[in-house]
Amino acid sequence: MPILELQNLKKYFATQKAVDDISLNVEKGQIFGLLGPNGAGKTTLIRMITGIFYPDEGNIIFDGKKFDPINDVAYIGYMPEERGLYKKMKIGEQAMYLAQLKGLSHKEAMEKIKKWFIRFEMETWWNKKVEDLSKGMGQKLQFVTTVLHEPKLIILDEPFSGLDPVNSNLIKDEIFHLAQAGSTIIFSTHRMEQVEEICDHIVLVNKGKKILDGTVKQVKQDFKENLFSIGTDQTTISADANAPFEIVGAKDHSYVVRIKSGNSPNDVLRHLLQQNISIHSFNEILPSLNDIFIKLVEGTPTARQFQKVTA
Amino acid sequence: MKKTWIIIKREYLTRVRKKTFIISTLLFPLLYILLIFGMGYIAKESVQNLKVAIIDSSGYFTAEKLAFQNSIDKSSTLLLVKEEAQKVIADHQAEGYDGYIIIPAMNWQTGTDSLFFKANKSYGSSSTTLVESKLNRIWNEIKNDSLQIDGEKQKILAGSHLGLSSKNIKDERANVKIAEGIGYVSGLLIYFILLIYGSQVMMGVMEEKTNRIAEVLVSSVKPFQMMLGKILGIGLVALTQFFLWIAFVLIVYNIGKATGGTDGITGQVVGNMQNLFSSVDVPLILFCFGFYFLAGFFFYSSLYGAIGSAVNEDMREAQSLSFPITMLVILSIAMMSAAIANPTSPLAVWASIIPFSSPIVMMARIPFGVPNTVPWWQLGLSMALLILGFVFTVWFAGKIYRTGILMYGKKPTWKEMLRWAFRKN
Repeated sequence: MPILELQNLKKYFATQKAVDDISLNVEKGQIFGLLGPNGAGKTTLIRMITGIFYPDEGNIIFDGKKFDPINDVAYIGYMPEERGLYKKMKIGEQAMYLAQLKGLSHKEAMEKIKKWFIRFEMETWWNKKVEDLSKGMGQKLQFVTTVLHEPKLIILDEPFSGLDPVNSNLIKDEIFHLAQAGSTIIFSTHRMEQVEEICDHIVLVNKGKKILDGTVKQVKQDFKENLFSIGTDQTTISADANAPFEIVGAKDHSYVVRIKSGNSPNDVLRHLLQQNISIHSFNEILPSLNDIFIKLVEGTPTARQFQKVTA
Repeated sequence: MKKTWIIIKREYLTRVRKKTFIISTLLFPLLYILLIFGMGYIAKESVQNLKVAIIDSSGYFTAEKLAFQNSIDKSSTLLLVKEEAQKVIADHQAEGYDGYIIIPAMNWQTGTDSLFFKANKSYGSSSTTLVESKLNRIWNEIKNDSLQIDGEKQKILAGSHLGLSSKNIKDERANVKIAEGIGYVSGLLIYFILLIYGSQVMMGVMEEKTNRIAEVLVSSVKPFQMMLGKILGIGLVALTQFFLWIAFVLIVYNIGKATGGTDGITGQVVGNMQNLFSSVDVPLILFCFGFYFLAGFFFYSSLYGAIGSAVNEDMREAQSLSFPITMLVILSIAMMSAAIANPTSPLAVWASIIPFSSPIVMMARIPFGVPNTVPWWQLGLSMALLILGFVFTVWFAGKIYRTGILMYGKKPTWKEMLRWAFRKN
């Protein structure tokens, strides 16, 4: 059963169709990538899921029931892209305040804060103020306050920006941990290598519409261009008109070939072996999410244009 | 509701624990006292002690008479000049005088209105009045001598006069002076609280918006709860400060009374306070003060909060948007002066009933007496309208706040903000 189901969500602003008829399902325990260029409507979509905005049209089903922002926000943890903490407030009190606003009692909150502070080696920070922290430290604190109340759904918007590789890994491990423990994570970012590493399922939105939806594996299969790399010690491979492939690139002793339609990789190997070419390696080249992203989004204007909306 | 309470607690505690709160609570009464004494002192010190040459052609002003007056009244020195008169007129500063007065030949029965204090510089009237009254005392002496009025008759002439002041026959205790004083102090206090704490609400909202913590918070609580929590929390801070001041006054009063000083400043203060307690209805005034203070605070601070949510970190934007609201508060204080001068005039009555000015103006009228100066129906109507007023502004501000707190970019106009407030959902 999906933990979150969006049905034909629409949100129009005066000059933009920010979210224009988007439907998607997020399964329990999934790490779900919500991707899209700047201004695609991701933030508006997230704000509807977190109960900040009401959709103009469409339904949000949370955990099998119609989403009730007032009560259900207690089960959601949201870390916005722009970091937000009170600069002058002590760190311990800040974590306590945000936890209590999520509905935890003082005692519960204290236990959980202690646990997380120890895990993130933040015990000595309790009486420091946020303005004393570096950007990365602030990020860690923000992450802790987001997941402290053990939400069923965690929404992270660019959680790694400003973090060094060590702390990035720390947070990444926690994300895997939380997913294993049963939390669902919606992960919004532009950094495609992180998506490939972390996400199970992705959705790509552009100009307020969903343009791609599937597992990372499936998406890569869907967008593969039948490219293979061949490593050989031969200096030249020739492909005549009868060959089941064409050469699209060559570098030193490796070649990139595209299999012509109607042929299989085995046909390529058979053809090469018949020519007595010794082969060291033969790999399928799957497109990176980065390539897919650029391919899909390319051609649309980089900035969304303002338009008159008649809804 | 529980979440609003958590927000109130944070807003209250973070402010009350700040050093600036403690310092301002202690310093405000001190500054207030300093201001009152300081202004008196400055007014006294700014009067110059003038050395004036008297060039007399009338023959009435003798050196002895001047010397006698100089010995009683040291605020100026008048010296008779005869031989050096030409030199003084040519250059009075070289002769060591601040200026000179030429008294023409005249009759003691008519006197003259055209005397001039001639000097190279301009002098304020506060300095010349002292010289004028001194000259008139000498002139009285001269007239008395000429009319042959002796010391006994002079005493009668000077001492016997008729005095007039107003008395409220329905309210025997009413004392206009004290009512005016209380009216001014409570009106001004509300004025300060509205401006200072109103802008604190605005700054607090702006801080949350620019810190971007607003976005974290609105995913936990409703924007309306956020705004309400902030207003109530800061209102409690103002209330705390106010109670501390009252406590301060009561402690001073009781210490003064206990030490039994009947003379000196403490005695005077204690005496004044007893006078005050006996001449006005203290519980009613305190109750009304509490009401108008809180209701007025809700009325204005919600509007300030709405502005804070609409602007970005730029203080100038906030100032230009909040200008109309600040103007309303300042207009109220202008009407307060009029209301104190004449507490039953139509202006005073209406200004104390209309919500935006009633917190300040009504508070200035109440000390004059309820129900004689301020009938019960006026007080009731004023309170009811103010409650309706703040319910409306809080609702209105909540609508603007909800949209504004997450909007970044251009500063909205009042027109756009009105559209946010009145659109559906």
